[in-house]
Amino acid sequence: MAWMRLTGYADKFGVHPGDKIRFYVNCDGPKNYDVQVMRMINGDTNPRGPGLVEKPVKASCNGNYAGRRQVIYSGSYGCHKDEPEFRVDSFTLQGWIWPTTPKTHPKYWKHGAQGLMGKWSKNKGYGLFINEEGCLEVRINEHKIATNAPIRDHAWHFVAASFNAATGEVVLYHEPQIVYALDPPIPPVKKKLGGVKIKHDDIPFTVACYVDRKDTAPEARASVPAGVVMGGPYNGKIDSPRLCNRALSRLEIETMKQGAQRGMSERRHAGPTGELATAIVGAWDFSAGINTAMGHDKGPFRYDLTIVNCPTRAMTGHNFSGHNFDWKHAPEEYGAIHFHDDDVDDARWEVSFEWDVPADTKSDSYVAKLTTKDGDEDYIPFFVTPRVGQEQSKIAVIIPTISYMAYANEHLANNAGGAELLVYRVPIMQHQNMFLAEHREYGGSIYDTHTDGSGLCLSSRLRPILSIRPKYDHFLMQAPWQYPADLHLICWLNQMGYKYDVITDEDINYDGLARIKNYNVLITGSHPEHNSGPELDALHDYTQQGGRLMYMGADGWYWVHSFHPAYEHLGRGVITEMRRCESGIRTWRADPGEYYHQSTGELGGMWRYRGRYLHTVAGTGMSSEGFDISSYYSRTPESNDPRVAWAFDGIGYDEKLGNFGFVGGGAAGTELDIVDTMLGSPPHTLVVATSAGRHTEAYLLVMEDYGFNQQGLDGTQHPRVRSDIAYHETPNGGGCFAFSSIAFCGSLPWNNGKNNISKLVGNVLDRFMKDGPLPPAPKSAIKHRGRADYDQPLNKKRK
Amino acid sequence: MIRIPKKGSKERERMIKEHKACIDSMKGVAGCTILRCKTPGDTTEVSGGIHEDFQLNRVLLRMRGQPARNKLVVICTKVEKEWRIGRLSGIRGVPPVFVTDKVYDNEQDPQHDIFLMRLDELAESDGMPEHFHEGWKRRSDNWVAT
Repeated sequence: MAWMRLTGYADKFGVHPGDKIRFYVNCDGPKNYDVQVMRMINGDTNPRGPGLVEKPVKASCNGNYAGRRQVIYSGSYGCHKDEPEFRVDSFTLQGWIWPTTPKTHPKYWKHGAQGLMGKWSKNKGYGLFINEEGCLEVRINEHKIATNAPIRDHAWHFVAASFNAATGEVVLYHEPQIVYALDPPIPPVKKKLGGVKIKHDDIPFTVACYVDRKDTAPEARASVPAGVVMGGPYNGKIDSPRLCNRALSRLEIETMKQGAQRGMSERRHAGPTGELATAIVGAWDFSAGINTAMGHDKGPFRYDLTIVNCPTRAMTGHNFSGHNFDWKHAPEEYGAIHFHDDDVDDARWEVSFEWDVPADTKSDSYVAKLTTKDGDEDYIPFFVTPRVGQEQSKIAVIIPTISYMAYANEHLANNAGGAELLVYRVPIMQHQNMFLAEHREYGGSIYDTHTDGSGLCLSSRLRPILSIRPKYDHFLMQAPWQYPADLHLICWLNQMGYKYDVITDEDINYDGLARIKNYNVLITGSHPEHNSGPELDALHDYTQQGGRLMYMGADGWYWVHSFHPAYEHLGRGVITEMRRCESGIRTWRADPGEYYHQSTGELGGMWRYRGRYLHTVAGTGMSSEGFDISSYYSRTPESNDPRVAWAFDGIGYDEKLGNFGFVGGGAAGTELDIVDTMLGSPPHTLVVATSAGRHTEAYLLVMEDYGFNQQGLDGTQHPRVRSDIAYHETPNGGGCFAFSSIAFCGSLPWNNGKNNISKLVGNVLDRFMKDGPLPPAPKSAIKHRGRADYDQPLNKKRK
Repeated sequence: MIRIPKKGSKERERMIKEHKACIDSMKGVAGCTILRCKTPGDTTEVSGGIHEDFQLNRVLLRMRGQPARNKLVVICTKVEKEWRIGRLSGIRGVPPVFVTDKVYDNEQDPQHDIFLMRLDELAESDGMPEHFHEGWKRRSDNWVAT
């Protein structure tokens, strides 16, 4: 059953008026499809709400197009075009491997032999493999010589194979780095192949795959090199692969482990010895150029590999000693690349249509809606963002595109049976999830583990991202999440008649304060969890200089992200990286020594553990999460403080705030933030409303807030399981209002925006969007405040 | 470990009744849990269910903690209109398959039917020493690690 026959993506999330945006469409079956650009205002189909709101836009690209199939060739590998030196008569291949799936289930999506290194295809050439039985195998033309020792997964092994064309002798070495007491020995496998001459073809030399075929089909142009389709994707690490042009002795192989080693001779020739200098074809060092898409060859020919589909680098190698956790300080221990069969850096599809966005186009949320006569449908969301200096409104909505990328094509409902413990109900999968469950080549999210079970830390936006779609309910809440949830906010702004611009995370990352300084107020999305350092810098610069920030959600400013510099030529923020390190809500956990980003070399993990507390950005930070149902807020006495009482004009003190909504049925739900002056909330922060005591057992305190496991952490018991709506002034007439719940925006459009959450947010927005600084706080509010002295009367008595 | 109550037992009937009442009361909520809404479809006040029936709470946790292989799941076949019950394969790249022909017109009812199916399918107890198998050493134990 084809769950989706139409899928597509655009070359950018945000396009300026006057610029071009390109769209790439896979139309697998139908002959034609229609394109209609729409303003996308509400994506939530909940019958209790306004329903889908999309408004057709006149666009030169609207029309009917011939459909054609486009395919993603996932799986990371290294390759170099054919060269005379790769056409060896005799050879030695060697390197270290740490395989994660040496043997797979027969139904596994890429079941079969895995290519380690070589130049082999269709019974021609030479190569080192892990065969279908999980054993090391060398292939010379049609000959396959293997050990009968299944390779231990998640362990380092030294592997090598040599072939002497003159004698016909093949030797295969599998030498585990770790040998346990009851492991059988694995002697070298020796075999004579009489009269065998290696046949050569013009295929590339490859690492972590083999060439499956040359393919003239149009869709195969998306492979790298174009028209050469790889097979046998390898899952696991490879460290220090080498190719020599003769059969080395075991001693020479040992010496070749050292690689090119130009320092061994005053002549600085490549080769650890004079004799081996004539044997080296390639001696690759993956610790060089970790932030590039190249696998550096330190040998004499400089046959640098093109690294395709962005595997994980800055990975600990076979010699990691655990003394240094930063690859920049001990690169020689980071010679491994971890390849995965579901890595994807760029779908590389051919352009299906493009739109020259007219210069007078309103900044807003848009989609290219794709439909067929047979009822197929897909939407490609994008945002028209003004050029810096050509802002169209006083209000800007920050579309949290890094967070969208982090959640892109998330598979948790399918992969993680345990996700049910998180959501406290049986997950509901939609057609997008069903399609992705089968089409692993579309890649996963940073919440997923790769198909080999290892953590997924890199996400590309140059692929169809089916979780960024209207009409998509996420299994976490059985309701909109991220993009469609942020459309609740867009919908409300339209209901209320506000004029607003939209900008994206990458705009702020690249343009800094210039991108935001001309706005009177910035409004975040419902869940801006994933942020780059430059983006946070800009937000702090903004609020410090009198800007106003409305933080419309929760669990924001949580994870460290960086954009991969090797993809800058394709646009802004093409690939984002995030590592799940020592704490935080982690669906996987980085291995020791693998906390530093390959993109920028910075320490990954939570901003909190970089000394950048979440609470410093907008006043509140995450304290708990639960995904069954949401609740509501009550005002606190601090809401009557004249510094903030204006926000509650028209709202009674005893009103239940937000006991309605399209996410969990209330405004306080899913992930919740609180004020904590010990974690960076300014000491003058006012908590104006809270949902304390109203959450279910499904809500649990975040693990970074406690030191050991004990009972009493859930919503029915723990006082930190709550959401605080909070306000604080920033210098120079600025301010932050934090609404502190991901479900919050889901209450805004309720009853067509006639509700007390809408009233509260409207009051705040009306004040924050005015020109000039905010009215100053009363003089009585200017006083010395500590961080811990809010709630320690005992200490005060002692004084 | 809390045992899955036997067929025909009073405990089982009580749990089924409570589960159904909770699920029915959640109809209309975007999200749901096994608690009773005082006003149907409105989460302002909730009670009963997992907060007051300890055994139901623990049985549900055991069901939720089962590994992905063959785990029952809800599949939305027409947005806001139709839902069916399927099973996860537990194998990457192998999508879930439908297990019944029943088509639901709301997203809550399949939750209850899956509860009933699991009551029948799950062993009365697991996780005790007599259930030891080698997988316990290799992360294929009952509790899913992400």
